[in-house]
Amino acid sequence: MPDPIQFTIDGQQVEAEPGQTILQAALEAGIYIPYLCYFPHMKPYGACRTCVVDTEANGRKMTLASCTATPMSDMVVETKNESVSELRRGIIELLMSEHPHGCLTCHRIELCGPQDVCQRHVDVTDRCTICPKNERCELKDTVRSVELDLRTPLNYNRRDLPIHADDPLYDRDYNLCIVCARCVRVCDEVRGDNALTLVSRSGVSLVGTSHGTSLMESGCEFCGACIDVCPTGALVEREYKWEKASRQVTTTCTNCAVGCQMIAEVNKFDKIIRFRGDVNNEVNLGQACFKGKFGYDYVNHRSRLKRAYFRKGGILTNATPDEAFNAAAEALSKYEPHEVAVIASPRGSNEDNFIAQKFARVALRSNNVDHAHNFIDDVSEHISERWDTAHTKRPIWDIENAHSVLVVSGNPTEDQNVLAVPVKRAAKRGAKIVVIDQRETELTRYADVWLRPRIGTAHMAVMGIVRSAFDSTLEQGDFIRERTSNAEDFKAALWDYDLGRIATYCEVEIEEFAEAAAALASHREMAVLLGADTVPKARHDALVDAVMNLRLLNGTADGPGQGVYPLYFGANSRGSRQMGCRPLAAESPVATLLCDAWGVDFPEGEPMGIGEMIEAMQGGTIKAAIVMADGVNPTARQLSGLREALSSLETLIVSSVFDNEITANADIVFPAAPFSEQTSTVTNLESRVQLVRMASESRFDELAGWQIFRGLAKAMGKTGFEYDSASELFDAICATIPDYNGLSYDALEKGGAFTQTQTDGNDARSDFEITKPDFSPFARDGFYFAPGRVLHQPDRENTLGERNYLNVIDRVELIELHPDDFETLGITEGDTVAVRNDQGNVVAEGVATVSDHALRGIIQTTTLFAELATYMEECEYPDSSPTVPGLDVRRVTVEVVAKAPERELVAV
Amino acid sequence: MVSRTEAPVDTYAVAMSQQTQYAMLRARARQLWVQLTEGDKPWVRVGLGASGQAAGAEEVFEALKPYGPDGTQQINLSLVGAHGLMYLEPIVDVVVPKINRVFHANVTPEMVPDIIAHYVDGREQHPMHESAFAYADHRDAFTTHLPNWDELPTNSLQKKVLTENFGNIDPLDIFQYIAQDGYASLNKAVLSMTPDEVLEEVKTSGLRGRGGAAFPTGLKWSFLAPSPAPVKYVLCNCEEGDPGAFNDKGILESDPHRLIEGLILNGYATNSTHGVVFIRQGHEIPIEATRHAIDEAYANGILGENILGSDFSFEMEVSLTGDSYVAGEETAMMEAIEGKRSTPRYKPPFPAQAGLFQKPTNINNVKTIAYVPSIVGRGGNEFKNIGTESSSGTALVCLTGHIKRPGMYEVEMGMTIRQVLEDIGGGVPDGSERIKVLQTGGPLGGVLGEEAFDTEIDFDAMAEAGAILGSGGIIVGDESTDVVDLIRNLVAFNQFESCGKCFPCRLGNTHMLDVLDRMCKNEAQPGDMKLLETVGNNMKIGSLCGHGQLGYNPISSAINYFEEEFEQRFNGELEKSGPFGDGSMILPSRTRP
Repeated sequence: MPDPIQFTIDGQQVEAEPGQTILQAALEAGIYIPYLCYFPHMKPYGACRTCVVDTEANGRKMTLASCTATPMSDMVVETKNESVSELRRGIIELLMSEHPHGCLTCHRIELCGPQDVCQRHVDVTDRCTICPKNERCELKDTVRSVELDLRTPLNYNRRDLPIHADDPLYDRDYNLCIVCARCVRVCDEVRGDNALTLVSRSGVSLVGTSHGTSLMESGCEFCGACIDVCPTGALVEREYKWEKASRQVTTTCTNCAVGCQMIAEVNKFDKIIRFRGDVNNEVNLGQACFKGKFGYDYVNHRSRLKRAYFRKGGILTNATPDEAFNAAAEALSKYEPHEVAVIASPRGSNEDNFIAQKFARVALRSNNVDHAHNFIDDVSEHISERWDTAHTKRPIWDIENAHSVLVVSGNPTEDQNVLAVPVKRAAKRGAKIVVIDQRETELTRYADVWLRPRIGTAHMAVMGIVRSAFDSTLEQGDFIRERTSNAEDFKAALWDYDLGRIATYCEVEIEEFAEAAAALASHREMAVLLGADTVPKARHDALVDAVMNLRLLNGTADGPGQGVYPLYFGANSRGSRQMGCRPLAAESPVATLLCDAWGVDFPEGEPMGIGEMIEAMQGGTIKAAIVMADGVNPTARQLSGLREALSSLETLIVSSVFDNEITANADIVFPAAPFSEQTSTVTNLESRVQLVRMASESRFDELAGWQIFRGLAKAMGKTGFEYDSASELFDAICATIPDYNGLSYDALEKGGAFTQTQTDGNDARSDFEITKPDFSPFARDGFYFAPGRVLHQPDRENTLGERNYLNVIDRVELIELHPDDFETLGITEGDTVAVRNDQGNVVAEGVATVSDHALRGIIQTTTLFAELATYMEECEYPDSSPTVPGLDVRRVTVEVVAKAPERELVAV
Repeated sequence: MVSRTEAPVDTYAVAMSQQTQYAMLRARARQLWVQLTEGDKPWVRVGLGASGQAAGAEEVFEALKPYGPDGTQQINLSLVGAHGLMYLEPIVDVVVPKINRVFHANVTPEMVPDIIAHYVDGREQHPMHESAFAYADHRDAFTTHLPNWDELPTNSLQKKVLTENFGNIDPLDIFQYIAQDGYASLNKAVLSMTPDEVLEEVKTSGLRGRGGAAFPTGLKWSFLAPSPAPVKYVLCNCEEGDPGAFNDKGILESDPHRLIEGLILNGYATNSTHGVVFIRQGHEIPIEATRHAIDEAYANGILGENILGSDFSFEMEVSLTGDSYVAGEETAMMEAIEGKRSTPRYKPPFPAQAGLFQKPTNINNVKTIAYVPSIVGRGGNEFKNIGTESSSGTALVCLTGHIKRPGMYEVEMGMTIRQVLEDIGGGVPDGSERIKVLQTGGPLGGVLGEEAFDTEIDFDAMAEAGAILGSGGIIVGDESTDVVDLIRNLVAFNQFESCGKCFPCRLGNTHMLDVLDRMCKNEAQPGDMKLLETVGNNMKIGSLCGHGQLGYNPISSAINYFEEEFEQRFNGELEKSGPFGDGSMILPSRTRP
């Protein structure tokens, strides 16, 4: 590490790391130099020139932009002398000549209150009230800091551009733009999307989309990064656009397993009015996504449940919490332990999950407890039990260090959005991306190799890569000799994995395995994003085995760029598993641990996961259930049947933020406190425990999940649940669960903390998993639908429609089919067809086309990501994020809606 | 193969005698050249450069075709680039084998039968056409009335280093270039000189960059040479968007192989692997000529692997700008080649550290590169002896505007501007009285008043006078020129061409144009002059690249020489200016087709 550079700024001795710019060093030392185009985590740009400073080094005097200049040792930097201040003022004066600046010149600034009616001291188009960022504007602060004399002789040119208010979620008013290009750069450099660009040049240079299209067609993923970096009112969220915050709270987003740190801005009525990424943390580096940035708003919705209620004979009766607890206790007492189930919420905190499983196991003596979005349970279970959890504790930005990234059966762009950002950045830096997925997703566009194995054969495709890598002697021999004991046996077993058979089985070309092997096995730095969206549950184990074999042969262990990232659904899937809120066998170590702590025997009976519980409800074995419904998406493919199952129950106790399909069948409903009204912890997919801080108090009878279980236990007369606060409960967790030993709310205050690694040493010697291949013949049982969705389709002509004054994608989708399938389905090319799922709902409609990459029996279509933004805007259920439609692969039928028009014969 | 490190002094002679690749190319070239110049048919050459084409040379060429190889085969027909004497275009030049050359000026297609008749149907029977204006080589009975080509004032005062092949060779035929000893310097360098020796010759020559900044070329190359990176780029900049400058294009359309040879030598001296010639979109003739020349060079072993049998390999291609002036700024140019929006990068890192695709890179102007073959061929000292102490070599001057003989002239550094204007350019055209103002070095250069006409053409002397030599364009204005209007046009160009990245340039140019617009409409406001100065100086210190830093140059130099006129404008004492007399101007729409 080279020595830091010593130099002075305004007489103050300052230290800079090599590579740091003068501006960065100054800001770190607490010296403010005005700047506009610079932004943390982005490359210097050097356009605004407001950060100019005078420098002198080795006798050479220069005036430099401090955002791009690096200091030399013993350099003397002056930031505030007369000449440089004058220059800075001159530049900002130029800038203000095209930016409406009534907010700075109006003589009533000091007198005018936020609620005052403007007395028209300034032109209408120039008034402070036309700017949504009035009083929270970075530009204004910067201008004030240079003490600009605003009696400028320069002509004021207003651009008079129309405001773009017709795209979903945000407004763009380029009259306020200062062309600092922060938004363009964040979209390009950080997000990798390039949805925005600079258009035109000279004085009319401005931000826009490349062909002047709507954001819906430009490849925008509506992540809001551009809004968060905009120093003016040019880009703002439409919701609460004009609201001013009176305080802000840093909290954790609970919409997915990434656990982004967000700053919640709260207004004086205690309403959360804005969510923006927190730049000063390691989880998301200030990034957010369409769900996180725009999906927080449900907590403000007026239809939230305020009081507990009973449903008796179709009549709803309000109740106090105590009445509800007593009624619930009475109802639950009627059932045998195996007749009751507890389903925790995907947004549920560690506290909620811990107490939920404790309640089930201790109070109800039932082993039927799981969390509702525990969809890839076997994958993560397998990893954490058989492999060192250190594998899965790499920060997500560590993916940028990877030389190759393997993405299996997952769609992080939509389900764990910020996790996809480092993948794209790695790809732009030259990392090889291999995607194994039938569906076309955003990451398949970055893929060097995109394997599309037949649905349910992803595990075999990975083994194909393993076999191919060994065939080409790409394995890391030294690593294997050192770390494994059964490499020879494994190689021998690989004879059964004949590439030809695998290729036929997966319906993938043999060469593709070799390409994927070459891409992945060239370096040890291979990151794996492991999902199981299109993998049947029975194959989860096989998939994990195959992936782990691939990592071993590649010498991938736990160094930088070598992480495994399980693509969890639900904000706290990982935490809930660690809390034991999942099916546990009585002899499992966690079960033993818990029972020892509680001083009880582990309940009897076969443990059931969410899937089995749904079946048991439908079969009548389970008669009563407690469901924490906040954030549960009953439309998820994996939860199909949940609604029917719940309606068949005798007793259903629900905690929910809103009335919805789950409360519709409930007998007792508790109003749940959303994430913003409680303090709790969640654990993200990196295994980082973070605080969800209370942004505002609940006003009615809303209860946090753990309070509900505490109340129920009390009403049932059970002891061991008397926690006074969430932090006390968390301390109990930390005392019980070894991974959490030593943590406390105080310890999490700054940036959270990783859970402890308990099972060190597992990694020192790992063995290949040897299994016989299962080439059981594949019965063509109907058709599968593999929907795809990408940000940008420049090859397709998009037409925009308008709905509720907003742009919507309005085009005929292409339903892509294998040429052989047309006859089977009795359709011809050009027919308009509807694709229906098992329930008979239309999941896609469009024109049937022959596709050269569709497999037999697979129906594909690729839609535009922008439809999700439209969904967020139009969703009638206030809590839109959890129900954003995913790309579910499912069995479908196809029917013709309209025959293709007869082709006219055209004379040649 | 000759080892570069242990080359004996006479390797070059040895290699030549051993029938090297180059010797064979040269033999073929000589044969072709002799056929043309000493065969039995007259050799007719038509200047088809942009200046010729603009004057209608294409039609003339078409009219000549029926006599040529595809027609009656009475003549040999070639196209050539520009002679530089643009007021005489289209120029048709006829070589009477073994006797002399006759030049015909301002030829139209209708004249062609009469001109040709003299040379093919009998010189006695058919008198020489009156369009003939000069002869070269030998004076014979038919050319007694004509002046000698070399003694024309436009030619005798020129010092032809770069332009020696202009008008003589077909830019689309590599062998015509080789016949003029083309690629001999390259052959000598790659076979018998080390890269350091080549670099040393360039340093000795005192060559300074012709792109505007006049940075010593050898020094610039020596920043790149030591870098051990496996891929290094040398770029040649032919953006040349300055109004009134056409010498880079002139080189590419008249003698592209000279540039290619120079760029390969640049690559050899700096151990680089790739060369890119960056040409402005829309300069169709130079683009085609350069592409064709690169193809020919590849086909003859002059580019690619093991150039001319040596162990030096070098790749080259043409890359085009968007429609942007700032793309000529070296870092913006690299952005453009990378396929991005052509906006300048900040420096450091300098191109020699991280340039094109973040690889070490050198960027040179076309003229700079084109000098290199003659420097390497004849030695740096010979070049050093041309020109002045601080500015060695020649200047390629483009004369336009109110001048009798507009054209492209190569003069020795140190000649005064007045000599160029009056002796070569012939002074003001009929009807004008005097030269009032000169605009030099492109729109970011400046203007010169009469008192500066005795300035020597020399980088430092010009800079001292408040203008820059820059690209070599000199636009001449006579007494009718409205200086403020001229400046307004320049600023309008600069404003239009600002890339829009850094704030001072994006906004400053707009405001300066605003003020000048007001002045031309006699609507100047108090404080306007002060405002120009403040904004201009802020741009000078605050801007990211030269476009903004030099943006105030035209105004400051004009105020320097024509302060009185500015004051008159400011006070509204003059008629409203502009082409319509109402103070309005024609805004630039596009700067090139």
